[in-house]
Amino acid sequence: MSRGAALLIGKIAHARKDWEALASILELKEFGSGTRAEFLQNCKAGKYDNVVAIFRSNASTSITGRFDKELVSALPKSLKYICHNGAGYDNIDVDDCTKRGIKITSTPGAVNHATADIAIFLMIGALRQAHKPLAGIRAGKWRGDFTLGHDPNKKILGIIGMGGIGREVALRAKAFGMSVIYHNRTRLSAEREAGAKYVSLKELISQSDVISLNLALNESTRNILGKAEFAEMKTGVVIVNTARSGLIDTEAMIEALDSEKVYSVGLDVYDAEPIVDERLIRNPNIFILPHIGTATYETQKEMEELVLENLKVAVTEGRLLSPIAEQANL
Amino acid sequence: MTKPQVLLLGEIDHAHKAWASISEIADVIEPKARSREEFIKECESGAFDKVVATYRTFQSVAITGLIDEALVKILPKSLKFIAHNGAGYDQIDVHACTAHDIRVSNVPTAVDDATADTNMFLILGALRGFNTSMMALRNGHWKGSPPPPLGHDPQGKVLGILGMGGIGRNLKKKAEAFGMTVQYYNRSKLSEELSGGAKYVSFEELLKTSDILSLNLPLNKQTRHIISTKEFEQMKKGVVIINTARGAVMDEAALVVALEKGQVWSCGLDVFEEEPKVHSGLIANPHVMLVPHMGTWTVETQTKMEIWCIDNVRSAIEKGKLMSPVGEQKDM
Repeated sequence: MSRGAALLIGKIAHARKDWEALASILELKEFGSGTRAEFLQNCKAGKYDNVVAIFRSNASTSITGRFDKELVSALPKSLKYICHNGAGYDNIDVDDCTKRGIKITSTPGAVNHATADIAIFLMIGALRQAHKPLAGIRAGKWRGDFTLGHDPNKKILGIIGMGGIGREVALRAKAFGMSVIYHNRTRLSAEREAGAKYVSLKELISQSDVISLNLALNESTRNILGKAEFAEMKTGVVIVNTARSGLIDTEAMIEALDSEKVYSVGLDVYDAEPIVDERLIRNPNIFILPHIGTATYETQKEMEELVLENLKVAVTEGRLLSPIAEQANL
Repeated sequence: MTKPQVLLLGEIDHAHKAWASISEIADVIEPKARSREEFIKECESGAFDKVVATYRTFQSVAITGLIDEALVKILPKSLKFIAHNGAGYDQIDVHACTAHDIRVSNVPTAVDDATADTNMFLILGALRGFNTSMMALRNGHWKGSPPPPLGHDPQGKVLGILGMGGIGRNLKKKAEAFGMTVQYYNRSKLSEELSGGAKYVSFEELLKTSDILSLNLPLNKQTRHIISTKEFEQMKKGVVIINTARGAVMDEAALVVALEKGQVWSCGLDVFEEEPKVHSGLIANPHVMLVPHMGTWTVETQTKMEIWCIDNVRSAIEKGKLMSPVGEQKDM
């Protein structure tokens, strides 16, 4: 009987050895670079007809485009598992995969520390409106066009989405003297809450000095912060988004920044990455980074290893180490 | 009875109510002088001969110059107290003040949180290598092309704190929340309670074994250039150095060389040897985090600092002693 194959879409930068070690149990195929058209052509031509598992990433979306209905339906019948490198997987059409019996794993856990670290960096940068002095000193203007910022100490941090990342953000925020309130689909155990107060979304929005978005983007969470929500926020609120841009109504956010309802925002994610709205790039009061939440050697390696571990265990044991929430009952 | 005089050197920006209450117990005067030369002349004219205490800011050095032996000598004999608004008081020659029976206070504690926050911000910025990405994005190039090198996580790294005073101890708590292990060197070993379980090491071991080195000590004759070429050579290759203390505790030119050689992977600096001048080698390096001495620049902390300093003035007038005398004068 011929072996099944694993297909690598994109590149593996740190755990290459672990990928190559799979050769003992699987045929290894790669689509390292190319276009969506080329990928679909390869599928049609039967090049992947024995592929049982795919290693893909958020980054590889720039090669194949989204794993939408069109692409998912072109994938080989042999395919059982999509092992995704990324905590967010909104670029995969989960329903279509489930209908085809394809199981998906992601990389929760591995991203938690690095993402929480960047959330705190963005929070301090936004509270201090740090872009102005950072730009000023490099332009030879010392402090430049500079205003006094604010301390996180004694402020209320409202976390929307108290999963692995949200809880790591809470842990760090407490060290900065902040008190934490949170909203989540369900209330956490006292142990996991670690002293954070569970509130309704409405309460969180009206009581927070800083709001951190740490929830997944899907159809029910899109624009969770919209015009109505901005109206209910404290004047001078700071918002941090390291999750997905679609969670915030960007126009409403820009309007709130202009009216100074919102003091500043710290962003790592945008609507149409890598394109960023000029109004954000030109706003000196906000603090922005180009989606580098997990861009460290240690975390990238850990994420790749987790994907490969998922792939190996799925193929050899039929067990999923980190299945996505939507498929938890499959 | 006439009220004693208090000389205001610099500006009160936030604690106006607290400052106004000083007028109930003292007559507040300000210098007309706008330069050191003018200030010296004004002192010698007898304009300040009833001044008992002065509230001075870091920025007032633009008027008086450093409070050195030459200046202390010509200050009015009535002046017994200098309440300095700032944690670092290297602008003041405390030795000369002591010799002239002038007591000096600074502002500890009120600065701790904001300085440690800035310190942690710089640790993250330097370790993660955020500056290149920030600049690329603002220049419309997304992550930049080629994209910048990957950064490093603070998780599991060893943070070496040089100077375990209020700020250093505050930093420890924040760094541990990011999964860092903290060790420190201090003039003297702290109690377990005060050090919070951080490992006390020798200066040499701190240099040799720290992944990130944070400078949190005061600037004085003993600590000037305490970090220079010899010390960089002892550090781990690829070390990250953070300075929120005073620029001159580190040899800035030697730092630039160490960065070029790759001995130091990145740095995060809030202070520089000749502020507002910054070594061109640092400006030219996109991989380092540079901020212009903004450690305590928040509304909340600036207000707290002013109030603390005003309380020192009040204490001097009402009780004849300062609330927070500097360490060197504790037994005066």
